[in-house]
Amino acid sequence: MLKNFKVSFFLAHKSIRRGSIGTVILTVTIMSLIFMNLIFLPSIVSGIGETMNIMIIDYTYSNIVIEPKEDNLYINNVASIKKKINSLPGVVGTSARYMTGATYTYKDNFVGGAVRSINPVDEVAVTKIQTELIEGEYLSEADTDEILLGIDLAGTEGKEAEEADLGGVRVGDKIKVTFSNGAIKEYRVKGIFKTKAFTVDSAAFITEKEMESVLGLDNKASEILVKISRRGSEEEYRKKFMELGISEDIKTWKDKSAGLVGNVISSFSLITFISTIISLVMAVVVIFIIIYINTVNKRRQIGILKAIGIDQWAIIHSYVIQALFYCFSGIILGAFLLYFLISYMTANPITFPMGELKPVVEQQLIIQSIISLIAASFIAGLIPSWKTARENILKSIWG
Amino acid sequence: MIEVKNIEKTYIMGKVKVQALKGVSFDVKKGEFLAIMGASGSGKSTLLHQIGLLDTPTAGRIFIDKLNALKLSEREKTLFRLNHLGYVFQEYAILPELTAVENVYLPAMMRGERKELYLKSSIDILETVGLGNRLHHLPRELSGGEQQRVAIARAIVNKPKILFADEPCVSLDSESSKQILELFKTLNTELNQTIVMITHEDWHKEYSDRVIYMKDGLIEKM
Repeated sequence: MLKNFKVSFFLAHKSIRRGSIGTVILTVTIMSLIFMNLIFLPSIVSGIGETMNIMIIDYTYSNIVIEPKEDNLYINNVASIKKKINSLPGVVGTSARYMTGATYTYKDNFVGGAVRSINPVDEVAVTKIQTELIEGEYLSEADTDEILLGIDLAGTEGKEAEEADLGGVRVGDKIKVTFSNGAIKEYRVKGIFKTKAFTVDSAAFITEKEMESVLGLDNKASEILVKISRRGSEEEYRKKFMELGISEDIKTWKDKSAGLVGNVISSFSLITFISTIISLVMAVVVIFIIIYINTVNKRRQIGILKAIGIDQWAIIHSYVIQALFYCFSGIILGAFLLYFLISYMTANPITFPMGELKPVVEQQLIIQSIISLIAASFIAGLIPSWKTARENILKSIWG
Repeated sequence: MIEVKNIEKTYIMGKVKVQALKGVSFDVKKGEFLAIMGASGSGKSTLLHQIGLLDTPTAGRIFIDKLNALKLSEREKTLFRLNHLGYVFQEYAILPELTAVENVYLPAMMRGERKELYLKSSIDILETVGLGNRLHHLPRELSGGEQQRVAIARAIVNKPKILFADEPCVSLDSESSKQILELFKTLNTELNQTIVMITHEDWHKEYSDRVIYMKDGLIEKM
C-alpha cells in the first residue's frame, strides 16, 4: 500500500511539475474562484442577517422584551420588576415603554399608528435611537409637550406626502396627536431620527411622564426592554428573570424578530444553496474535464504503466492526487483572495437601505466549503482515471 | 522456461469472429534468443501479447517456469509482469514526463526497493546501454535510438526471467537498429537473458538462436 502511494505521489508530482504550467495556473485559478464563490455569497447573506440583527437589537427590541401576560394590557409594578432585573450582574439597563394607538395630524396630512413613551434616561442604556438624530434634540425627562419622530413618519419636505408620512414635518413644527382614549394634544417636534430600521423610523416617542398623564396610569408599562452585556446569553437571562419571580411574558429579540429576519434569511438561504450547488458542480466539471483530457491524452502511457507492472490503483491514485493538488492550491489561493476581499469590504462596507453591510465569514462555512470541494475534487479525479485505467492494456496502448 | 500449448485467440468484432491464433504450441529454453517473424496479420504480435501476459488467450495453456500463468488473477499477472518479465515495445514506450533514470527506476520503486539501490542499479544499466551521460534528460531531449535504449534499460533493470520485444527497431534507422540488436545479443550471451523478439526484418534473425515463422495464426516453420 505504502509503495503504491509512493509511486502515485511520484507520478503525480512529475506530471504536475513537468506538465503544462498554463494548465496548472488556469485550473488553480478556477478552483480558487469556485472556493471564493462558495464562501463569499453565504458570507454576504450572513452579513445581511447580522446587519438586521444589530438593527433589531440596537433600535427595536434590545436583547430581551418583557410583555404583559396574555389578556393583560399592561405590566404592573414596573418599578419593582425593573429593580429586580437591574440587580442582576450583566444587565446593562432596562427601559419601560407605554404604547398606544394614535393618529398624527399635520396640516392636511394624518397618519395612524402607535405612539410610544420612553424614559429618556433609561432608554439611552437600552437602545441607540438617541444617536441617530438627524435634526433637533433628544427628549428630556421633564418634557411634556414635545415629541420625537422617525424620518418615515415625518416625511420629506417638498416631496408629495405618502400614505404613511406627514409630508415633511420639521423640528419646531407642531403636530396634533389623537390618542386611543380620545385625548387630543398638540406637540412640538423636538427631534427627528433616522435609524434605517423601518419599523422604528415610522415611530414616534413622547416621555413616560407625558404618557402617564395622558393615559392616567402609573407604574405600568406595555413593554420593558432589557439590555444585557453579552449577546447570545438571552436564554440564560430569561431563565434568571423567571427565577426572580417575573411571571410576565419574556421574549428574546430572536423570538420577536423570528418572522421578519427568518423569512429574509430563509429566502437568501435558498439562493445561497443554489449558488453552492452550482459552484460544486462547476468544480466537479472543471476537474473532471482536466483529469479526463489528461487521462485520454495519456491513455497509451497508462497502458504502458500497466504493462510494465505498475498497479492499476497506483495509477488511479496519481490522478486523484493531481485533482487534490489543484483543489488544495485553489483553496489556498482562494483563501488569500477572500481574505483581501473581505478585509476590503469590512473596511469599506456596502451601504444597504437597512444599514452598512459587512460580510460575515463563519468558521463552519469555511470547513464545510473545504470539505465539499475536496469531496468534489476526489470524485472528479477518481472517475475518469478509474475509467481509463481499467481499460484493457492492449486497447490503451494501441487503441 | 516457456511452454506454449495449443494457444488460440479469437477476437469478436461485432458479428464477425477473427481467429488471430489457431492453435500454436512451442517451447522456449532458458537463455534462448527466439525471434518470431511473419507477415503483417500473421498473428506474431498477438502471440507475444499472450505469452507476455498482456492479454488472455481464448484457449490453450502457457507455463512460465512451470507456473500455469493463465491461472493467475489480473492483479497476480500485474505483479508477475513487474517481478519476472521485461518489455520493449515499438515506438519507444517511455513516459515523457520522466527523465531517463526515472523511467528506468519506476518499476523498482513499484517493487518497494530502497532508493539508493534502485538508483544505483538504474544508473549502472543506463551506463551499460551507453546512456551514462543522458541520465537526467527527458525523452524529448533524446533521439529515437536513445529512447529505445532507455526502454531496454527499464525492461532489464530488474533482471527479468524473460525479455519480450515487440518490433523494437521498427522506428529506428539501420544504425540504431544494429546497436539495439547488438545490445540484445550481449544481454543474451553475457547474462544468459531469455529473449523473445518479434521482427519483420530478415537481417535481424542472425542475432537470434532460433526463428519461428508465423502465417495465418499458425506456426509455418520453426
